[in-house]
Amino acid sequence: MTSETNQEFNFYEDELIDEKIAAQQTAIEKEIANEQKLVGDLIELNTLLNEYLAEDTVYRSKITELSERFRYMRKTRGDGNCFFRAFAFRYFETLMGKPDEINKLKDLVNKFTSDLSQLGYNSFTVDDFKDVFIEELEKLNNTSDIRLLEEIFNNSGSSDYIVVFLRLIVSCYLQNNSDFYLAFLETYQSMKDFCSHEVEPMYRESDHIHIIALTNALEIPVGIIYLDRADQEKATPHNFPDDSNPNIFILYRPGHYDIIYRN
Amino acid sequence: MAGSALRRLMAEFKQLTQNPPEGIVAGPISEDNFFEWESLITGPEGTPFEDGVFVANLSFPNDYPLSPPSMKFVSEIFHPNIYPDGRVCISILHPPGDDPTGYESSSERWSPVQSIEKILISVVSMLAEPNDESPANVDAAKMYREDRSKFNDIARKSVRKSLGL
Repeated sequence: MTSETNQEFNFYEDELIDEKIAAQQTAIEKEIANEQKLVGDLIELNTLLNEYLAEDTVYRSKITELSERFRYMRKTRGDGNCFFRAFAFRYFETLMGKPDEINKLKDLVNKFTSDLSQLGYNSFTVDDFKDVFIEELEKLNNTSDIRLLEEIFNNSGSSDYIVVFLRLIVSCYLQNNSDFYLAFLETYQSMKDFCSHEVEPMYRESDHIHIIALTNALEIPVGIIYLDRADQEKATPHNFPDDSNPNIFILYRPGHYDIIYRN
Repeated sequence: MAGSALRRLMAEFKQLTQNPPEGIVAGPISEDNFFEWESLITGPEGTPFEDGVFVANLSFPNDYPLSPPSMKFVSEIFHPNIYPDGRVCISILHPPGDDPTGYESSSERWSPVQSIEKILISVVSMLAEPNDESPANVDAAKMYREDRSKFNDIARKSVRKSLGL
């Protein structure tokens, strides 16, 4: 009996450590949330220079060069959803005041919803996300007021639901095209496994495969500009798909995606 | 946020009422608060928990289903994957990357397309097949591994207790 009590005592100590770690993590997340909006205001891209030291010439010269072609940007919150959120904001922005294109996207959304149901997803787990996605999309039919879009994407209720639905589209697309994409997986045995661990859960970061799948699923090309310490003169552009001519551009710095605007 | 969570919880409640999985009953404790549920879980057949009816509460966060609920047994239950205070520790109650007991990478994880039903079904499988690697209750895991008949005895006692016998 004594040993049992001791065991329990140890368990509560472990428990305290777990709780401290959790509390610290929550505090860090709060700090990030306070400092960075989900999707930030339009700012000049060369303000990024402030983030790098004077002697960091690789980054500074790449930023200066890049800002000649991409004058403006919006930062997104680094919460693991940044690729999806950046893409969604910029994509929705290109659809504002274009009811025909919005209708085309709605048809696609309905197609993916029925594909998900074919794959065995319960409608009560999918419909809320789809409904919010479509509801917010429809608000953009007859407006070009960017404040409305900023509001939609900074309200976590609508913003996060849009992110979840894009994640579901990627999951659905990958599962239905797994013959091709399975070759890209390293640590997962099945596409279903990969999607349920790396695509569907919120806050999981995006990799190449997510980007390729999303742009193919929606047939919306995207250009990713890689800004890193690699010893080159310019930030490296990469279009998805390769031979496309995108309107949507996203800046990638190791671990994070922000929206950028081509002049 | 809470509005969407409420809508989802109501849809799941309806679904669980119309098509209840075998051996499981679950619903809000009170109509005033859909974020606190009670579930009754029947011990799976052919296991020492057979015939028991165990009560566990589920607590849902405001951003459910983006984040998972937490689950805690009210009935006394001695099990490797249940903390001595009743909290359930299984992988589906945690998003990937959040590894309180070092789950295997292939284990089922929380995401917004999981559901209360899937959690409860996972809990039933957990009762049938305890995972004694990196347990929540070290004593229970040790006994399960080293003295199965004693473990089974304690389980059967908890069954009688769960039935008020």
